[in-house]
Amino acid sequence: MSANTNSPINLSSFPQPIVHIDCDAFFTSVEQALHPELKGKPVVTGKERGIVACASYEAKALGVKRPMRLWEAKKQLPQLICLPSDYETYSLYSKRMFSIIREFTPDVEEYSIDEAFANLSGLRRVYRTGYLEIAWKIKQRIQEELGLTVSVGLSASKILAKIASKYKKPDGFTVLRANELHQFLPGISLDQVCGFGPNTVALLMKKGVRNVWDYVSRSELWAKQLLGKIGIELWHELRGEAVYPIVTQEKTDYDSISKTKTFTPPSCDKDFVRAQLIRNTESAFIKLRRYKLRAKWVCIFLRGQDFRSWGTEAELDRSTCSTLEIAPIVNQLFEKIFRENVLCRLTGIVLSKIEPDKTVQYSLFDDVPKLQSYSAISRVIDEVSELYGKHKLHLGTSLWLTQHKQHVSERGDLPERKTDLIKGETFRQRLGIPIWSVTV
Amino acid sequence: MPKQIDFHSIILKLRQFHHKQRRLPSFSEMQHFLGYKSKGGVSVLIAHLVKMGLLEKDKAGKFVPGPDFAGGLRLLGSVQAGFPSPAEEELLDTLTLDEFLIKKPNATYIVKVSGDSMIDEGIKEGDLVLVERGRQAQPGDIVIAQVDGQWTMKFFEKKDGKIVLRAANKKYPLIVPQKELVIGGVVVANVRKYK
Repeated sequence: MSANTNSPINLSSFPQPIVHIDCDAFFTSVEQALHPELKGKPVVTGKERGIVACASYEAKALGVKRPMRLWEAKKQLPQLICLPSDYETYSLYSKRMFSIIREFTPDVEEYSIDEAFANLSGLRRVYRTGYLEIAWKIKQRIQEELGLTVSVGLSASKILAKIASKYKKPDGFTVLRANELHQFLPGISLDQVCGFGPNTVALLMKKGVRNVWDYVSRSELWAKQLLGKIGIELWHELRGEAVYPIVTQEKTDYDSISKTKTFTPPSCDKDFVRAQLIRNTESAFIKLRRYKLRAKWVCIFLRGQDFRSWGTEAELDRSTCSTLEIAPIVNQLFEKIFRENVLCRLTGIVLSKIEPDKTVQYSLFDDVPKLQSYSAISRVIDEVSELYGKHKLHLGTSLWLTQHKQHVSERGDLPERKTDLIKGETFRQRLGIPIWSVTV
Repeated sequence: MPKQIDFHSIILKLRQFHHKQRRLPSFSEMQHFLGYKSKGGVSVLIAHLVKMGLLEKDKAGKFVPGPDFAGGLRLLGSVQAGFPSPAEEELLDTLTLDEFLIKKPNATYIVKVSGDSMIDEGIKEGDLVLVERGRQAQPGDIVIAQVDGQWTMKFFEKKDGKIVLRAANKKYPLIVPQKELVIGGVVVANVRKYK
């Protein structure tokens, strides 16, 4: 069954011209673009979380890796510059990148904060040039206007385009034509395919599949029998037959919503830990309502100093999106899992079994007027947040939060953007234009 | 007997067409909606209109509306109104301050001014200048540039074929880049908020 690497699968080069654009070390690149003095230096972001959230290429070259504690990284590399994350500015940059791509084509998927897929079909006539040149132009425009580098992959399906963009990084530009797959895929290992996790790779290796070309040269039926639906989908995608569409709408449905937050120093103060948990609950429910959803299943957990978590879960007899309705339940669950004199460093909540917030079927014993007034209160909470900032109107329990700051150590440092306000800006509202921090 | 041309109704039709389509009709379009038998007739008509100042030729030789095309009365909507009310006129097109100051929203950044080197140009310390990235600097532009490792805001000029950076303040000497010059962006606007 060995592969015949001489004959192409497809005859045309781009049955669907799909491009994947991926920013290189996005968070730190934004910091370096706005703070030129950081250019060429090892920089990481994630100071407020105590871990390396993103490492610049300079830092990566010196051995800093992504899931690493900050103090470990600092010990290894004393000259490392640690910055608190400035998500506000990162999302400004992200929006700009997507809108530059949208100037070329409306068919853009915001895959993550720094990754986009776009379908270029039909654009050759508009730009009077080939897909390769259009993709190159997009790359140039982003780099010129944002001042950071992106890696671009152009191919015939989303999965292939992603392989291509990862093929050379940073500042890469890889074109993978569908009629050249038989030359390219034998050199691609299975773990480079988005969709093959470590377990799938191990299974495929057992079956004698050593690389991506081996996989696509097997029959479709074989892929189906081994890996099911996803196996077939990937089999087609990897052969340059696009199966996954470009999803242009914003993501509004969630399978689950979770909110967790660390605090330092760890605490065993019951009221404080409870307040942390209730605050996470409030945040999760604000998000739930923003997307007009309700949840039916809730799980809460605490994490101790040894980084071990414990928790419990509950299924509600009816889904809800009201903070006041869930708070007593969360409180009951908390009473069950809180351990006296055990230091906690984190609380978290996960909401699941989520459905759209449409009509409610009340049960016979529900206190309907009370529930309706709850949802009125939720509405007021959201309106007040809109006007005066998140959590301005909150449950009494979270008053204990003011007992001490979220982070007493230097982890509490704020990004420069939040401390250096322009006249007329408030802590909540800032100009939607990135501030370039050069002294002139 | 030469044909009498009804200029009044023709110019009305042209204005309506121009308002709707944002362009002038082509010769063959005019032939149809003005009821001419040939394009030659249209070209005679156009010659008249050019003489009357209603149309003119642009540099590329294309016909564009002339100075008198709009007429004494303004067009509001698709019909010619009597006296336009000032309020209605204001509604036609407005720019927000953002649109007025920023041409390329994706490439524009704010830089807070900290020195006094552009004081004679009226750029004070604390002003916010809007800078466009990825734009070719032209002599006379104000640029944000990195010269031999130092960031600065100066006039971008050429002297004896060489690029020089000039401050708008006599205290500062002319900068002639020695090793390297990186143009970070071109200043497109300056914002000062008093209150």
